[in-house]
Amino acid sequence: MKVKFFTAIWCPACIVMRYRWEKIRSQYPELETIYFDYDNDVEPVKNYDIGKTLPVFIFIDNDGNEISRLVGEIDKHDLIKQIEAHKER
Amino acid sequence: MFISLVLFLGFWAFVSLPSLVLAQPPLPVSLTIFYGQGCPHCAKEKLFLDQLENEFSNLKVRRLEVWYNVANANLMSQVGQKMNLSVSGVPLTIIGNQAITGYQDSQTTGAQIKQLVIAYSKEGCSDVVGEILGETTVETDSKACPETSAVTPNKVINIPFFGSVDFSSWSLPVLTIVIAGLDSFNPCAMWVLLFLISLLFGLADRKKMLILGSAFLLGSAASYFLFMAAWLNLFLFLGFIYFLRIGIGIFAIGSGIFYLREWYKTRDAGCHVTNDNQRKKIMEKTRQILAQNSFWLAMLGIMALAFVVNLIELVCSAGLPAIYTQVLALAKLSPLQYYLYLLLYIIIYILPSLIVFIIAMTTFRAFGFSTKYARWANFIGGIIILILGFLLIFRPGWIMFG
Repeated sequence: MKVKFFTAIWCPACIVMRYRWEKIRSQYPELETIYFDYDNDVEPVKNYDIGKTLPVFIFIDNDGNEISRLVGEIDKHDLIKQIEAHKER
Repeated sequence: MFISLVLFLGFWAFVSLPSLVLAQPPLPVSLTIFYGQGCPHCAKEKLFLDQLENEFSNLKVRRLEVWYNVANANLMSQVGQKMNLSVSGVPLTIIGNQAITGYQDSQTTGAQIKQLVIAYSKEGCSDVVGEILGETTVETDSKACPETSAVTPNKVINIPFFGSVDFSSWSLPVLTIVIAGLDSFNPCAMWVLLFLISLLFGLADRKKMLILGSAFLLGSAASYFLFMAAWLNLFLFLGFIYFLRIGIGIFAIGSGIFYLREWYKTRDAGCHVTNDNQRKKIMEKTRQILAQNSFWLAMLGIMALAFVVNLIELVCSAGLPAIYTQVLALAKLSPLQYYLYLLLYIIIYILPSLIVFIIAMTTFRAFGFSTKYARWANFIGGIIILILGFLLIFRPGWIMFG
């Protein structure tokens, strides 16, 4: 499973979630994270229809299909629950 | 015997002389109360004055409502100008050439008014309001009175275990801290600081980073101070215009509903992307400013940027400062006190930005407060503004501090 993480440099919630995600990632070294910047990565933002609330986590399976997405500031517990549910895909 | 009788009569005449003088009919005394309909302190004073009028037949009381009556409000301003008084609050009592601002109870302010009535019943005194109204003339009515002075009673309340608490002295500072604290979590201009910090990390010189970041904070604080000072002066200049107070009250209710709606809408607690084009323009301008060869030009540019950004973003957070400055204008303060309150507001307002900047400069990592704080600031701020709005319309006397 891969995680596509859409953030913006000016967004406080994105900064908060970046630190939170870093801590979670250390528990799941096999998890690949791809970072996108809302202002610079215009194409992926458009293709994934990111919307108007940041940050956005998109969970992608090994076949490249979107499994689920989480928007905004998410609790660590909810993120782990999502990873545990889909990490084998 | 005869000598004794003469001595007795002489002594009686001597000790009775003052009372004979006092027995002369008391001089007419005019008292004017400028009051606001719905102001609780005014209502208390009016009751007291009713009793006083019954007690002193020579006392004539003018009762002039100023919140709904524009002519009376103008008259109050005229009286203020003539007596060189700041007439920002009611009740305002004019007796002779004495002015008493506020009313506590019959034991304090009431006693003070009664003392003046007794003194002027004996000695007489000019009636400043009567002179302006043309009811009495300066030539015929002027009497030597003590010098004009505004007397503001303290609103001291005895609370068990805490002792005497002067509410007028602490309620405005607390309100200032609470509103500024709520305003400070409004992320309207915070995003520019975070973007600037990310660009500052690219500079090799730490000293430059510190100076340029501080210039932005200083520029933001100065511009916010100027905007708020402008609001305040406008409200002070316009004074007690009924429609203005009602207008601000309605605006406050609208803002309160808006903040509560924002709280409800932003349950996902994240950053909400708005106005892409404007944001990109500001980001590009910031990059250009930092790319300046001259450090001084970059610093001035950053300060100007802070000013412009706060001007643009003011619409986003205009509710709290506008309503706060209206409440501040209702308080009876000296110009220095007004500006000190604005300074306190700005210090509290800028604090989260300062913390973000200091942590970023110390750790060399971006730092941001959770948007959950901003969301709950919207909730608490919304409720406070809503209450202030209703009070401005229906019970303005309750929020007259100072």
